[in-house]
Amino acid sequence: MQNLARWIDLFQTKLASVIKWLGLAMVIVTIVVVVLRYIFNTGAIALQESVMYMHGLLFLLGIPYGVLSNTHVRVDIVYARQTGRIQNLINLTGHILFLLPISLFIFWTSLPYVEASWRVFEGSAEVGGLPAVFLLKTMIPVMALLLFLQAASQIIKCIGEHRTGTS
Amino acid sequence: MEFMALIMFAVTFAVLLSGYPVALSLAGVALLFAAIGILTGTFSASDLGFTPGRLFGIVTNQTLIAVPLFVFMGVVLEKTKLAENLLRNLAYAFRHARGGLAITVVLVGMLMAASTGIVGATVVTMGLMALPTMLEDKYHPGFATGVISATGTLGQIIPPSIALVLLGDVLSNAFQQAQLNMGIFAPKSVSVGDLFAGAIIPGLLLVALYLAYVIGNAFLNQQDMPKPKFPEGELAPGLGQMVVALAPPLLLIAAVLGSILGGWATPTEAAAVGASGALILAWTNGALTRTVLSEVSQSTLSTTAMVFFILIGASIFSLVFRGLGGEELVHALFEDMPGGMWGALAIVMLVIFLLGFILDFIEITFVVVPIVGPVLLAMGIDPVWLGVLIAVNLQTSFLTPPFGFALFYLRGVTPQWVETTQMYKGVIPFIVLQLVLLAALIIWPGLTTWLPEMIYGPK
Repeated sequence: MQNLARWIDLFQTKLASVIKWLGLAMVIVTIVVVVLRYIFNTGAIALQESVMYMHGLLFLLGIPYGVLSNTHVRVDIVYARQTGRIQNLINLTGHILFLLPISLFIFWTSLPYVEASWRVFEGSAEVGGLPAVFLLKTMIPVMALLLFLQAASQIIKCIGEHRTGTS
Repeated sequence: MEFMALIMFAVTFAVLLSGYPVALSLAGVALLFAAIGILTGTFSASDLGFTPGRLFGIVTNQTLIAVPLFVFMGVVLEKTKLAENLLRNLAYAFRHARGGLAITVVLVGMLMAASTGIVGATVVTMGLMALPTMLEDKYHPGFATGVISATGTLGQIIPPSIALVLLGDVLSNAFQQAQLNMGIFAPKSVSVGDLFAGAIIPGLLLVALYLAYVIGNAFLNQQDMPKPKFPEGELAPGLGQMVVALAPPLLLIAAVLGSILGGWATPTEAAAVGASGALILAWTNGALTRTVLSEVSQSTLSTTAMVFFILIGASIFSLVFRGLGGEELVHALFEDMPGGMWGALAIVMLVIFLLGFILDFIEITFVVVPIVGPVLLAMGIDPVWLGVLIAVNLQTSFLTPPFGFALFYLRGVTPQWVETTQMYKGVIPFIVLQLVLLAALIIWPGLTTWLPEMIYGPK
């Protein structure tokens, strides 16, 4: 089981090390859009929409990784004063009670939503926009799936730490 | 059935205090109560079907695309140590004047606030860079920590702050909803630019108040700020060097703010301009290595994911809160409030102040403002004025002992021999200044509304 957790963590880390560059890409592409509009007087709707796509990918796929890297904020007035063992139990309870159901919930409710979009290969509402809205929407269940995997990994690790008392 | 909404709020509060991540606590407790509601027939399961649409609405929200770009810009300035260098140069220049170091901290804090807009980062950087020197120069520890924590919170209020971008987006939705509820079908709108413009005068006023206090203190309580021994034979850096050090960050902020307020760029485009400006500054300083760029991207990813996950959690939370009848509850509560609009405003401000002890700006903006915003705005409160009041109020909350965020951050980087009670005492004058500003904004709403009206025309 610990091996499974390790594989999941490795996969999320690799994924994050790729998508993190989207932040820089967003800066560059937005600058290009600005330059095109003010200097060359041409709009670039597809390019502008691509910034939104990168933005969506960046935070949707970054969220499950945030669970792994423990960068989602906590109210730590009480938490910071607890022993590692209690912190581990708080996390374990939360992961089972909240994180798992949330990931499953987002996954199941988004399936029909995404399916409807795929059926018409939904594209941009704007002329000249990117014809891939259905793909962008698909990122919602993908995020939920990654969140589910990460929940599984966190739970395995929490149980392991609880048993061995390493936390 | 409405009491379910209240219980949900209370349970969420308890779970948040346990220290489980905020975004997951919000969404998790909400789903739990939705399930209970469905089982007891007090919540309609079809309400939950709106979730994917809402999530996608967050992805396509044009205003919020500015967030990762502003974060990127702030992280570049932080990681490449541009602010640190600025502080060091300026501090050196002012060091021979009494209180000079404290004045430098306020000025650099203002610039950092405007460029990074992240409270924790500003407080910690200033604490690490300026505090040791201040203590070495025999500044009173309480005064020194007070100046640093107060200037660190300026990031909330001085535009272009991320906090104001988020607040602007939430307020614009609340404003639309308030007008629709009132039967106005061609609603007026309020933008992030409005809020930026509205926050400029109050922000500068606050800096002026801080400076006045520091300078006044320098004359009156000379033991707090002894005149430092200026090393013999060393010359203070000339005016030229100071201009060289100050000009780039000032230009950067002016470019970002100016392009938004002038209507030449959307906040997203301005943020990209700011981010690339920061990259160029870092590059000319030779600080832009591949490692730094990788760290910047990593940090941007984490912060962006954190912010948007809270937004997702909060939107699931408010979906369930509404479904359980929580909104009617808040309406009823406000309608019975003695004092009408002022009574309601006072209560909201008090609640936000208290919530500020445990929640950060983002959570309060996403959870509380959507619930109370439409009700308050329907009572005729100006949205820009309300936004700035909330921002200053929260900033005060972050400074107030014993729970203020800024104090926690600073405690972490302050030497052990400085007592926590000294820090608490040192920050009190600044809290008083905050309250003075808050009172001024309430008495003269024009301080916030005048500039947006000059730029964008009356609302």
